[in-house]
Amino acid sequence: MKALPAIATLCLGFMLGYLGQRARLCFIGGMRDWVLVRDTHLIKGLFSFIIAAFVGFLIFYFISPAIKTFPWFLNGGVVFAKKWAAMGMKESPSFMLPVPGDPITWSPNPGAHLLLAVIGGLGVGFFSVLAGGCPFRQHVMAAEGSRSAIAYILGFAVGAVIFHKVIAPLVKAILL
Amino acid sequence: MRLTPAVAGLTVGFGAALLQAFFGVLPPPAYGICIACHMRDLVNWVLAHIYPIYGLVKGSPKIPGAPVSHYMPVLTIVGILIGATVAARAHGEFRWKVMRVGWQRPWTEFFWGVGVMICALIMGGCPVRTALKTAYLDLTALIGLVMIFVGVAVGCQVLKKIS
Repeated sequence: MKALPAIATLCLGFMLGYLGQRARLCFIGGMRDWVLVRDTHLIKGLFSFIIAAFVGFLIFYFISPAIKTFPWFLNGGVVFAKKWAAMGMKESPSFMLPVPGDPITWSPNPGAHLLLAVIGGLGVGFFSVLAGGCPFRQHVMAAEGSRSAIAYILGFAVGAVIFHKVIAPLVKAILL
Repeated sequence: MRLTPAVAGLTVGFGAALLQAFFGVLPPPAYGICIACHMRDLVNWVLAHIYPIYGLVKGSPKIPGAPVSHYMPVLTIVGILIGATVAARAHGEFRWKVMRVGWQRPWTEFFWGVGVMICALIMGGCPVRTALKTAYLDLTALIGLVMIFVGVAVGCQVLKKIS
C-alpha cells in the first residue's frame, strides 16, 4: 500500500482544482482584496479552510493514531525528542519549534526557525502579490490557459531545484 | 447552491485532515495539501529517477524532500491541473491568453515563480500549507501567516506606486 498517499493526494488535488476553479479560491488574493478595498469575499476561504482543518484534526485526534501529535505546541516535542536521541543530541524541545519542513528541520534553536518563517513569509507575500495570486491560483489559471501562469509554474519547478542545490546548503551553513 | 470560496475552503480543509488521518500522508505532519512542497517532491523524484546522481544526499541515494514521497511522489499538482482543466472546459472558460499587465508578462512571471518557490521552501510551506500548519496549532506557522499578510500589504503599496 505504498502508493496510497499518491492516489489519495491525486484525488484531493482533483477536488481542490475543480472547486478552486469554480470558486476562484485564492488565499493571497483574499488578503490583497482586504488590504486594498476591504472586500471579505475571498478571505473567507482562508478562514474557513483553517477552521475546517482544525475541526477535522480535532475529530480525528480521537479516532486515528496518525494525528497523535495534533496540538503541535503541546505534543510535537515527542517527535523532536525521539529524533534527537537517535542523533545523539541532548536538548529539550521548545514549544515554538515548527512542523518539520524548512531547511534546518532538526535544529533545536527556535529563534533560527522563527527567522526563516519571517524572511520566507515576507518574500512569499510580496512576490505572490506581484505575480497576481497565490501558487494554487496560478496553477488553476495555467489550466485555464494563461501563458503567464504556465511560465510561473516553470519558474516554480526551477526554483525547487535552485533551492535544493544552492539555498538550502547556504541556509544550513549560516544557521547551523 | 452557488460555490463560494468559503464552501471550497471548508471542503478542502476537512479533506486535508482526512488525508493525514486515514490515507498515510505522513510524515511530516500537516502535509495533506501543499503546493510548493508537493511540487518540490514531484520535481525531485522525477529528476532523481532520470539522473540518479541528483538525489545523492551525503552519499546515500535519497530524494531531497518529504519521507512520504520516497517510494512514490505525492501527486497533488497533477490533480489540481486535471481538475481545473476539467472545470474550465466544462464551463467554457478555457482560452489561451496572456496577462497584459507589465509585471505579469510570461518572462517576468517566470522569475516571480522562482522567488515564490524559494521563499516558500525557506518558510517550509506555501500559503496553503502554512494555513494547514496553523490549524495544526504550530505557533511558528502562525507567525509565518502574519508575515505573509505583512508582505502582501507591502506588495500592495508597491502595486499602488507602479500602476
